[in-house]
Amino acid sequence: MTYLSRIRINPLRAMGRTLLASPRAMHGAVAGGIPGGPDSERVLWRLDADNPHRPHLFVLTRSKPDWTHIVESAGWPDADGEHAAVRDYTSLLERIALGREFAFRLTANPVQNTLKPLRATPEQQRRLDAAAASEQTTRPRGFRIGHRTANAQLRWFLERTERWGFTVPPARHVPPGSEEDIATSPETDVPRDLRITERRRHSFTKKEERSARGGPRVTLTTATFEGRLRVTNPALFTDRLLNGIGPAKAYGCGLLTLAPLPEGSR
Amino acid sequence: MATTPPRAEAVLLLRLAGPLQAWGDRSTFNRRETRPTPTKSGVIGLLAAAAGRARQDPVDDLSHLGLGIRVDQPGSLLRDYHTVSDYRGTPLPQAGVSAKGIQKPTSPAKHTHVTTRYYLQDAVFLAAVAGPGELLDGLQHAVRNPAFPLALGRRSCPPTQPLCLGIRDTDTETALRETPWQVSRQARERYAARWRREHGAARSAVPATVPCPVTLDDPEGPDVLNDVPLSFDPLRRSFADRRVRHDWFSVPTGFPGRPGSGTPDSPEDATGHDPFALLGW
Repeated sequence: MTYLSRIRINPLRAMGRTLLASPRAMHGAVAGGIPGGPDSERVLWRLDADNPHRPHLFVLTRSKPDWTHIVESAGWPDADGEHAAVRDYTSLLERIALGREFAFRLTANPVQNTLKPLRATPEQQRRLDAAAASEQTTRPRGFRIGHRTANAQLRWFLERTERWGFTVPPARHVPPGSEEDIATSPETDVPRDLRITERRRHSFTKKEERSARGGPRVTLTTATFEGRLRVTNPALFTDRLLNGIGPAKAYGCGLLTLAPLPEGSR
Repeated sequence: MATTPPRAEAVLLLRLAGPLQAWGDRSTFNRRETRPTPTKSGVIGLLAAAAGRARQDPVDDLSHLGLGIRVDQPGSLLRDYHTVSDYRGTPLPQAGVSAKGIQKPTSPAKHTHVTTRYYLQDAVFLAAVAGPGELLDGLQHAVRNPAFPLALGRRSCPPTQPLCLGIRDTDTETALRETPWQVSRQARERYAARWRREHGAARSAVPATVPCPVTLDDPEGPDVLNDVPLSFDPLRRSFADRRVRHDWFSVPTGFPGRPGSGTPDSPEDATGHDPFALLGW
């Protein structure tokens, strides 16, 4: 079974602010809602601040979760309304079929891997030196470097959609004849029905705030993609829906959510 | 009809819409006006900026293009009280120069200019640029991959998408007659509601057409506008006259689901993202 949850976060409460400020704290809170052990399953989550005064947290879990702790510490426990909604996800998975179109939203961490960073940070230089000194015959692990421009992030996304089981069709204002051009040569610059609605650079420490000085820092570049998609490989697509897209899944990246297409677009 | 070049004629359609637009043709000094419709120099300036041309570069090939403007939504006029001063606190320079050719400060010291800037708010126009097909193909690619940021008449007025509606192999008049109304869904619904009230029509009835004013290049036209750019060079800005004709066209309203209206809806229809909407409450 798979469940999608939506939890309201109160940005006026101390715990709510902590959760909103740090993906590390949010990861902890999300992991605390799963009845199994912390590593029992891959949990995907995403923070949607369409309305920054009423941010929503979306979580996709395999087992049925309980969000009482978040509601009590960072919500409106006594207020009216649905604090945490949990819905069965199978009804959506059953509707995935070849050629179906959905509106989607994805917050991802676009990265590239390289063995030779242009300007290595001290930490990277240390690892490079260690690899050179040990003279291993195996290839050392490369560095993940975030794409930081909107162009690079869009290209990162569009290059990979086929591997994830979907395509992004051309934008609605493009005359329909140009769709074959995309199919024949993906390099043509037909505008796609895709936009980046938010780009952020997160930087936070891995330890608690008190001992944070000088502790290891996590730095993430995230981009929120929104648009329309068409399923080309239902099996691959379902796998990506359930297991996430791209790196930094613990820190709120990789959850692809689907919604009905906006009115008037077929 | 506009002057027809001997080669195959095509029309590039641009949807000029944005929160603010400003199309000045005779603005000087502290009063920066806007015309109620886009000027030819404004549209050609946008195309030249998209193609990456510098101010000094010639625009002869572009100024020969024909232009037709359709007013889909006239918008309203905004008067902006605007002041200009030097961030260092020094007095503003005066027009006269010293013997060395350096601008002198105003005396008595004047620290602030007051200028009045006019904008069109919430207007939607459809511009049809007519010319040889190869040139328009290049311009369409430029508008979709602009070299400089594009603006609707003034740098502070960015356009909303979609800006480029593509190329049609017809003449300007047909393109302006047949392209559906480009306003938002709300504006279209409001028009339909008023139309129903006035015609006593049923609740589900929708109007087929809407009258829109158009301005077309026409050598025999009754009106003269001085907005054909000869050069955008800051030191040698000059404009030529063109004759235009004003008219009203009946334009398809483009209600979804109506036969013959197979049109993409306007982009304002996009709503928020609700993943729960597909999960069957």
